[in-house]
Amino acid sequence: MSDVDTKLLRCFQAVFPALTEEQIRTAVRGNTPQWDSLASLLLARTIEESFGLEADLELMNHLESFDALRAFVAERVGA
Amino acid sequence: MKLLEALEILRSPTASDAPRLNVYLGCGFTPIYLETYLRAHLKQRLPDHVSEVKSGLFGDLAGNLERLVESNEIAGLHACVVVIEWPDLDERLGFRTTAGWRPENLPDVIANVHWSLDRIAKAVDRIGDRIPVVCSTPSLMAAPLSFAPPEQGDAMFWTVEAALSKCALRLAGNERIRIVNPRCLDSVSPPAGRADVKSTLAAGYPYTLEHTDVLAQALASFIVPRQALKGLITDLDDTLWLGILGEAGVDGVQWTLECQAQIHGVFQQFLQSLADAGILIGVASRNDPELARQVFERRKDLLVKAGSLFPREVNWGAKSHSVTRILRAWNIGADSVAFVDDSPMDVAEVAAEHPDIHGFVFPKDDPAAVVDLLRKLRGLFGKSSISAEDKIRAASLSARETDGCAADSKSASEEFLAAANATVHFDCTNPPQGGRALELINKTNQFNLNGRRYTEAEWQNFLRSAGAFVCVVEYQDRFGPLGRIGVVAGIGKEHALQVTTWVMSCRAFSRRIEHACLRYLFSHAGARQIEFLYAPTPRNGPVRDFLASLLGTAPSGACIVDRDTFDAACPALYHEVVVHAPATEPTASPRE
Repeated sequence: MSDVDTKLLRCFQAVFPALTEEQIRTAVRGNTPQWDSLASLLLARTIEESFGLEADLELMNHLESFDALRAFVAERVGA
Repeated sequence: MKLLEALEILRSPTASDAPRLNVYLGCGFTPIYLETYLRAHLKQRLPDHVSEVKSGLFGDLAGNLERLVESNEIAGLHACVVVIEWPDLDERLGFRTTAGWRPENLPDVIANVHWSLDRIAKAVDRIGDRIPVVCSTPSLMAAPLSFAPPEQGDAMFWTVEAALSKCALRLAGNERIRIVNPRCLDSVSPPAGRADVKSTLAAGYPYTLEHTDVLAQALASFIVPRQALKGLITDLDDTLWLGILGEAGVDGVQWTLECQAQIHGVFQQFLQSLADAGILIGVASRNDPELARQVFERRKDLLVKAGSLFPREVNWGAKSHSVTRILRAWNIGADSVAFVDDSPMDVAEVAAEHPDIHGFVFPKDDPAAVVDLLRKLRGLFGKSSISAEDKIRAASLSARETDGCAADSKSASEEFLAAANATVHFDCTNPPQGGRALELINKTNQFNLNGRRYTEAEWQNFLRSAGAFVCVVEYQDRFGPLGRIGVVAGIGKEHALQVTTWVMSCRAFSRRIEHACLRYLFSHAGARQIEFLYAPTPRNGPVRDFLASLLGTAPSGACIVDRDTFDAACPALYHEVVVHAPATEPTASPRE
């Protein structure tokens, strides 16, 4: 498991405490009831904080699934 | 605290039947991050509680508060937090509207600020009549809408500041309302690093996470205040005064500006102000006791009264032993006490013997660090008001010691008790006057039936419950008054009382006041038996021992004492009993 994967999983677990690891890895915004607009804001800020990213709209655009975010973050941190 | 840490604190498990702490967060912005941090800080302070934070509509702080006052929701709340920001006073003071910053708009902005503050203050005042309120005034810079340069405090700036101060002053007059001190906030959250304009525009959230953390911590500290410390033990040489008494002599130790010893004088006046607020001040010094006695007798320029320093343990033994004797005289635990000494070694030696004590090195060569220390100590000893009991606490301890009446004397003789001319006063007014009853309940550790603490709202809810009774116990004898030293509260049931809370100050031990309390409950309430919701805590051995003396065996949980058992075990009582407020006396049958 990569460092990005581990840290991203921790962010998801903090924002969605009721989801299992498996549910998080397959989570898609459209089919995850807990993933509302407020959860998106929390998730974006925890990801920015954990990976030292600047807050930007591009991150918000990738708040669609765990996989999409992992790919985006990995690219941004050069992992 | 990082946001991720805050979220993870909230994830930590709590029992399914954990008590709830319901808080209303009144603000005009999206509460998201502040709510998260507030809950996390509340959880850190009350780990066994589940905190729920509710909020109102975006952009309508005054309306949210007005609706809260009128709603039934307020009855289920434990506290209300009100966070005022500039757009709550006039939208033009923020950035999410563009209603015009032309000079001719400014008088209207000012008028709007007055109107909004008046609405907010009225609503907060009414909420404060029901539940505790914590309020913070705007902590961001207002938008640069005035034509004057920002460095200049122009008429508009001061008019708005004056309106805010007037509003805060008005609210501070309500004993249930606490206002965050903006100057203290400045010292821990640099003003330039507070605003997150990007977030304001994108999500309606105005603060950086760093400032959110600081603000939430301040707010939580008022909702769940830490118990203030009760006593401070100070060293003498190079702490209370500059110089070594054995070398400089009685007239050579100093604490004045002229002698370049001012910071020691400042420390002395700080100690006197603590003493005047009911904090016990003791002395632990390795020194010649006779020389020290002469300083306190001859040096009339001392800024702390010699009578305020009790006990004074001046000897050549270990500091930790002196501290042990002082704690015994005060009859309080080390965790309620601060120890201040210029010697790091002595602070460490005392900490090794008393790990719970709050030890501080007095930084005699760094006046700025001394001022920081005084602020820290003020935080540990701070209280919102000074009660009558605070004013007599030290004097009563000292008087008892002088008369040979040891605080922990379990074997106080019959002659001594019979000659004490003691009066026990029971005041059953519900709700009790002032905040002393709740203060006693929340700070008493040793004679405490079960260690149960109450938030103010929980306490008020209890007092309103069917059959609830509360008796505040006051005591005095020939050595002087102890003031209000006990609270017994519970529920009246059919031919019985259930005591849910019972606390008594450790200053009042060995006077058979606990027996007088039970005799009063049996005789005035007509109860055949009393159920005590006893629960063992690490510190409440005195209650266990008392109940064991009645029952013949130490209880492990709730227990029942009937009247015959009590009468058989009760020793002779010599108190005169005075009862107040018979209309609300406890009764062993439920009230309608």
